[in-house]
Amino acid sequence: MTPAIVEARRVSRVFPMAAAPVTALNDVSLRVDRGEYIGVVGPSGCGKSTLLHVLGCVDVATSGQVLFQDREVGSLTDAERSRLRLREIGFVFQRFFLLPMLTAWENVELPQAEAGASRGERRTRTAELLEYVGLAQRAGHRPSELSGGEMQRVAIARALANRPGLLLADEPTGELDQATGEQIVQLLDRLHADGTAVVVVTHDPAVAARAHRLLRMRDGRIVDESRQ
Amino acid sequence: MSRAFHFARLSIIRQPARSALGILGIAAIGALLFDMLLLSRGLVLSFREILDETGYDVRVLATDAPPGTGPQLTGAAALAESLAAIPEVEIALRMRVDDADAQAGSERARRITFVGADPRARSVWNVVSGRDLPAAPDGRAAVVVNRHLAARMKVGVGSILSITRECDSRAAMPALDFTVVGIADFPFDSATESTVAGAIEDADRLCGGEDPDRAEMMLVRSRPEAGAFAAAAAIRAAHPALYVVTNEQLVERFSRLQFSYFRQISTVLATVTLFFGFLLIAVLLTVSVNQRLGEIAALRAVGLSRTRVTAGVLWESVLLVALGGTLALPLGFALSAWLDRILRTLPGIPATMHFFVFEPRALGLYVLLLAAASLFAAAYPMRIVSVLPIAATLRREVVS
Repeated sequence: MTPAIVEARRVSRVFPMAAAPVTALNDVSLRVDRGEYIGVVGPSGCGKSTLLHVLGCVDVATSGQVLFQDREVGSLTDAERSRLRLREIGFVFQRFFLLPMLTAWENVELPQAEAGASRGERRTRTAELLEYVGLAQRAGHRPSELSGGEMQRVAIARALANRPGLLLADEPTGELDQATGEQIVQLLDRLHADGTAVVVVTHDPAVAARAHRLLRMRDGRIVDESRQ
Repeated sequence: MSRAFHFARLSIIRQPARSALGILGIAAIGALLFDMLLLSRGLVLSFREILDETGYDVRVLATDAPPGTGPQLTGAAALAESLAAIPEVEIALRMRVDDADAQAGSERARRITFVGADPRARSVWNVVSGRDLPAAPDGRAAVVVNRHLAARMKVGVGSILSITRECDSRAAMPALDFTVVGIADFPFDSATESTVAGAIEDADRLCGGEDPDRAEMMLVRSRPEAGAFAAAAAIRAAHPALYVVTNEQLVERFSRLQFSYFRQISTVLATVTLFFGFLLIAVLLTVSVNQRLGEIAALRAVGLSRTRVTAGVLWESVLLVALGGTLALPLGFALSAWLDRILRTLPGIPATMHFFVFEPRALGLYVLLLAAASLFAAAYPMRIVSVLPIAATLRREVVS
């Protein structure tokens, strides 16, 4: 059996609150293999985003184990987790979170520069990625000059900058109209077809329908899993 | 680190309105801080420069009272000779200062300060037109006058001045006529002071020899190989009853007593200004960071390290302060020149005295204080960024 990209073993995440602790994830186990396309659906507050954050090493489980390529994430330092995210994981957010003072080109180039890619490598890769998401002509534009769909495509290009094996998308079409959302979904399909494992959290049935494996969550648990 | 710098630079360039406000605010505060630093030692430096420009480095007085307010030296001629005979002393100059009245032609008499000095020694004034007092008498008694008197009484080189002095006996002494041979700048003159300098013997003659051979003080120049301190020590040993002070000691004394008022004011104002600068930068960066929490959390999620995003905030602070601080320098110089002009019109302030004086030390201290302010001001926003919970912030941003 090939090693999983990321595996959660009996993971719980509890947020301490003034009134009472909130259990966002409750004894969740999940394995994400290379090249998989997983959709996560469920009502608001059921723990979808928290699961994504734990799998993406931006949050640490209260209990249980998360193994990223067989490395125990809980034992990594903050700097090691940052390096892991930089090189192995791509994030796409509902609100894009592009840097407004940077152009599309610079936003895509940023993670590569952080990873130490040479100027030449960055130039080639950034051009390639903007071409891939269909925004080569908008490379010099800043986020404020782009539409929502274009911003999300730049965000996807940024997420792919360092050739991650895993792309995590949190409501990637949440801020977009249906037609634009469809473009993003097609882009995710292409990414998956090109070999990237994709985990997408969504409320949108059309997006969920594209996943090969669909997880339904409720009250911090995976209550149903189906292959499509 | 260079990427953090580049990022901070872009952040400043591409948010021009916010950056311009911040830089202008820092420039205004920096200009005030710079001026306070110039003021803190300005008078001392200026006073020192004026003292040194006279060419004499030791002063001998009857007591430690400032010249003109204490008793005069008696037997001044013999004392001057005695001082000049001391091996560490190169020259000793008698100087007498009296109030008098001067009249030119039919103009009404005006109050003047008459400085009597030994014309054979180097004078403490600086002749700007005509010539200095003759070393030996050559006909009519000669005087040099300051520019203010020349302009006010409309006299020039060759004019005749009739001078009378109110003497201790209150007897009305006849006026003596003097030929103006030169116009000079006197180091301790205020802008509205009328000063005349002549031979010390002529100063004695103004009272008909009533209180001859007196002097306000002796100005002494030490031999270069001995130095002022050695000369002063030798004079004290030879004349223990006299008050002997070097320029350096005088400056130190003034700095400690008379000028401490300005130093304290400038210290308080500099501290307050620096505190406002700190607050401005801290508020600016904190607001900026709080507005960008989502972006920062996203950057962390994308893989930028804690150190990297924290360094970005620090660089932004440093850049804002460096730009504002640099802009503050010409502003500070212009402001100090303006304030200096106002303060120098205070009565009794020597016209050559400056309140704001530049010295490299002030610039060094200014850079150091601003650097410290930028570091301390960045501390809180850096902490916000450093401890930012990535997942919780992303969640909050989406919900909001």
